[in-house]
Amino acid sequence: MSDLRDLVGEMTDGVEAVLLFSPSGSYYERVVDADQPVVVVSGENTVDAEHYVELPLEFSDVAQRIRFGLEGALENGVIEEGDAVLCAAKTFAEDIDSLVRVRAGDFVRSGVYELFADSRAEASVIRDVLEVAIELGKKGQKGKPVGALFVVGDAGKVMNKSRPLSYNPFEKSHVHVGDPIVNVMLKEFSRLDGAFIISDSGKIVSAYRYLEPSAEGVDIPKGLGARHMAGGAITRDTNAVAIVLSESDGLVRAFSGGELVLEIDPEDY
Amino acid sequence: MVGQIAALRRLLRRLLTSELELFVASLIVVTALLLGLAVARLLNSLLTDAGVPEEVEGTLFERTARRLGTSTVKLVSRLSGLFIVAVGTIFALRVAGVVNAGLLIERLADFLPSLFVAALVAILGLVLGDKAELVVGERLRSVKLPEVNALPLVVKYSIFYIAALVALGQLGVATAALLVLLAAYAFGVFFIGGLAFKDMLSSAAAGFYLVLNEPYTIGDEVVIDGQRGIVQEVDVFVTRIESDGREFILPNRQVFKNGIVRVRD
Repeated sequence: MSDLRDLVGEMTDGVEAVLLFSPSGSYYERVVDADQPVVVVSGENTVDAEHYVELPLEFSDVAQRIRFGLEGALENGVIEEGDAVLCAAKTFAEDIDSLVRVRAGDFVRSGVYELFADSRAEASVIRDVLEVAIELGKKGQKGKPVGALFVVGDAGKVMNKSRPLSYNPFEKSHVHVGDPIVNVMLKEFSRLDGAFIISDSGKIVSAYRYLEPSAEGVDIPKGLGARHMAGGAITRDTNAVAIVLSESDGLVRAFSGGELVLEIDPEDY
Repeated sequence: MVGQIAALRRLLRRLLTSELELFVASLIVVTALLLGLAVARLLNSLLTDAGVPEEVEGTLFERTARRLGTSTVKLVSRLSGLFIVAVGTIFALRVAGVVNAGLLIERLADFLPSLFVAALVAILGLVLGDKAELVVGERLRSVKLPEVNALPLVVKYSIFYIAALVALGQLGVATAALLVLLAAYAFGVFFIGGLAFKDMLSSAAAGFYLVLNEPYTIGDEVVIDGQRGIVQEVDVFVTRIESDGREFILPNRQVFKNGIVRVRD
């Protein structure tokens, strides 16, 4: 028994900060008086924590969630590169059931936190678009897998770096991503070729756009198709973020600054 | 058997001749009772179907009602039922002539509908005021400013005040002084508020035209008020244009005052 305690104790030795993922109020109360700073990572700051990182998407993968929390805490300056951090998260149960000890900076920064926090577009808009893409990936269009490309933010510049393939169905319409009707509309229009362009505030500016960025120096994994290349390249040329649903493997990928920052499988949500 | 029928016939004859009035009066009371019950039942289910219980959830009035073992919907429907019964009873009393059709009953009959409406208005005011406070508070929750907390209270008490005024007016209480106060308050809100929000209102008016007609749209290069750039966003109040990493946020009334230049190369 004492061996087991030692094992757990070892995990907490020399820990510089504690990250709590979506803790309940009572759980937070028990931890908050620790010597180390306690960072709460959750969708909403329900416990009024001093250090708080907003989790815009309930990542089903714990590793992804922890990565997001760490990058958020690093960005906010609560922890520093190389700090040992104890993460308490939910894996199976409804309550916190797992402890993970990681060293911040042991992995390459993916930029997933910056994708939400530092993009031109509002975090909620990016989240809404991701959700639409995930749902589209899950259900497809009438049962068939579809691909889609959403370019979010910096819409003025993106519009000038693209040309219409056809009449824009969203002209003079004032729909924003997140409106209930939009999911249906986007699903219908996703059979059209080209990209959706969405402004900083979430207004759907256009569909049917052919992107014309210069693809120089775009570094995306080999094997991804023209849609991903176009999405990746436009984020290099502008301050936009591209969210791409792959038709072939069904994954949702986000690009920022010409690089792949996030990859999620719609089936997990 | 035969005797019983004969007794019944005698009773009926007596009721329909010498005590006809009493008979009709009791009929009226029974009808009123049934009608009141039916109306209460009907109103209850109608209000429940209309989603009133969810709407009033969390208001002070509803919570108080709950503590007393009832609810807003129940109260309103029972009140309506009671009103019908009361009207029926007074009518019956008159018909029966039990109480001389004196001044008292006459006044009471006139007064009853007002009392009913006043009670309804009071309940409505209390619920609406509380609800408005909750809604406004919810909207302003993201604004971390202590002074902002006063706004939901102001909204709540304004609604209470107006409801009280209407209810008292129904009861015939002299409300002239309170009315003057209300007029001064409304003047303050509308005139001072209008003055303060003048620029925003004119921007919004221009914004509606811009949003509906889209003379320029996101991605167009325009010159507004000497600022040249690419339109990034158009909403009801402002237009954002950007050039060389600088974003100009221009009120829409500026667009209308000075006109727009669309750059087409």
